[in-house]
Amino acid sequence: MSAALATRVGALELANPVMAASGTFGYGLDLIEFCPPERLGGIVSKGLSPRPRIGNPTPRIVETAAGMINAIGLQNIGVEAFCRDALPQLRGRGATVAVNVFGERMEEYVAVIDRCEREAGVAAYELNVSCPNVTAGGIEFGHDAAQLERLTAMCRARTARQLWVKLSPNAPDLVGTARAAVAGGADALSLINTFRAMAIDADLRRPVLATTCGGLSGPAIKPLALRMVWEVHRALPDVPLVGIGGIESGRDAAEFLLAGASAVQVGTAIFRDPRAPLRILDELAAFCAERGVADVKELIGGLRCR
Amino acid sequence: MIARRDLAVRLTARAPLSPTCFRLTLAAAEPLDAIPGQFGMLACGPGFDPLLRRAFSLAGVSRSGGGTEVELLVKEVGKGTRLLRTAPLGDELRLLAPLGNGFDLTPGPAPLALVAGGIGLPPVLFAATVLAARGERFDLYLGASTGAELIETERCGALAAAAGGELVTTSDDGSRGESGFVTAALERRLAAGRAYSRVLACGPNAMLAALSRLAVSRGIAAELSLEEPMGCGVGVCLGCVVELAEGTYVPACKEGPVFAAARLAERWWL
Repeated sequence: MSAALATRVGALELANPVMAASGTFGYGLDLIEFCPPERLGGIVSKGLSPRPRIGNPTPRIVETAAGMINAIGLQNIGVEAFCRDALPQLRGRGATVAVNVFGERMEEYVAVIDRCEREAGVAAYELNVSCPNVTAGGIEFGHDAAQLERLTAMCRARTARQLWVKLSPNAPDLVGTARAAVAGGADALSLINTFRAMAIDADLRRPVLATTCGGLSGPAIKPLALRMVWEVHRALPDVPLVGIGGIESGRDAAEFLLAGASAVQVGTAIFRDPRAPLRILDELAAFCAERGVADVKELIGGLRCR
Repeated sequence: MIARRDLAVRLTARAPLSPTCFRLTLAAAEPLDAIPGQFGMLACGPGFDPLLRRAFSLAGVSRSGGGTEVELLVKEVGKGTRLLRTAPLGDELRLLAPLGNGFDLTPGPAPLALVAGGIGLPPVLFAATVLAARGERFDLYLGASTGAELIETERCGALAAAAGGELVTTSDDGSRGESGFVTAALERRLAAGRAYSRVLACGPNAMLAALSRLAVSRGIAAELSLEEPMGCGVGVCLGCVVELAEGTYVPACKEGPVFAAARLAERWWL
């Protein structure tokens, strides 16, 4: 027996719970021969700003134990090029697309959304208020509940599409920022972004990354991410969540669903295996089938706590 | 563009080349075509440590039955390459290849100068193999920090001879070949009147920077295969970017790893 895989994040129906995370899958078309975007629950674009950004100097990435630290600095082609070059192809393929939105000022988030509102084929916006690798914007909204509520409300006023806020694990009060995003009108929350981290070259006595610090991702952060999804789900049980953090297998995906996520995003695993999201989806389907789970939605929030 | 594949490859042979370098032979059941200068991302072992695949320029790709034999030259520098040095023969690994652009080997005016520094040899060796088979003339310059780290000198000598050219070896410590940097050996020959239409090179960044200056000052077009730490190899992580003269960053894995020296930011080769 094969399990029903469709899920729902707020009002958004997804064909299955496995998405590709922002910044790990380009604009959805870079790995089509390995992972056609339309076969996934959805894809989240690289963070888009109103104008192209060149990003940070190098070195930008460093591998650590079961993880990696990146400080890309939101290099992106800009929303205009995305709407012109990538979105029509994604639309033609029938992919479910969430646009990850970034700005240095609140007005820039609004500008990205306004531009995308002129296009069909965008299912959701994911506000990036949690990138640890840029000095202006983003994170300052993600760490301050009052600012986050205001930003979310400004974006909410511009669109009837699904509005997600991607939370920072570095915020001093995770549940507080989650509540603020919901108060501002977010339909769902995705969590978590990378953990602020650093690597040091002891021989040179220097930080490895040009920016000194970056964001840690990969299997190393999975237990932290699970705990955060579970905490936010417990505090806000009616708010749909999208779980992110070190997912490498179908079993990992099932763990996030059990903790309270309605869908998951696969990120760093794609760098190891360009087919990772599809493989994880197959593994999740097998996980369900082997345990007599008829519908993957049965797993959502199904954790039995002692 | 040649189709990328994520191939299951079997480790069929390993031969030591120097105190730190070795040659790996990988067999794939499927056919694979590649251009010299292209690379592959090799998963060095199971598990999460090391997490990422490692980028290796292809040193040779040949059809073997219905499948392919891929040759890599590896220098042990860390966790991933240590695993490759100790992995049992017969182990199955995964290789995502071919990736990147490769050298421009369109037939043109001869002769070419092929320049390799240390473990920068693989793409240069692959290019030499293809050029020699086509009967095009080139000289091959091969340098290393020490004489003991000069690798594949016999093969390189045979290829250069087949191409009607010379193999020039150098070591920084002077223990083998000409003493000093490989770029100095090239400069001496240019000063003595030898002419090249183009330079193809791979090696440490400092060597490529010196080579860029030399080529630009002599008006010789140079193509450089750059090494940058790569996360994905396919242009999505944007970790391996290179700064161009126009001020933008482009991923070396996708727009490179081979760049015309003139295209790179001046800061890069100063």
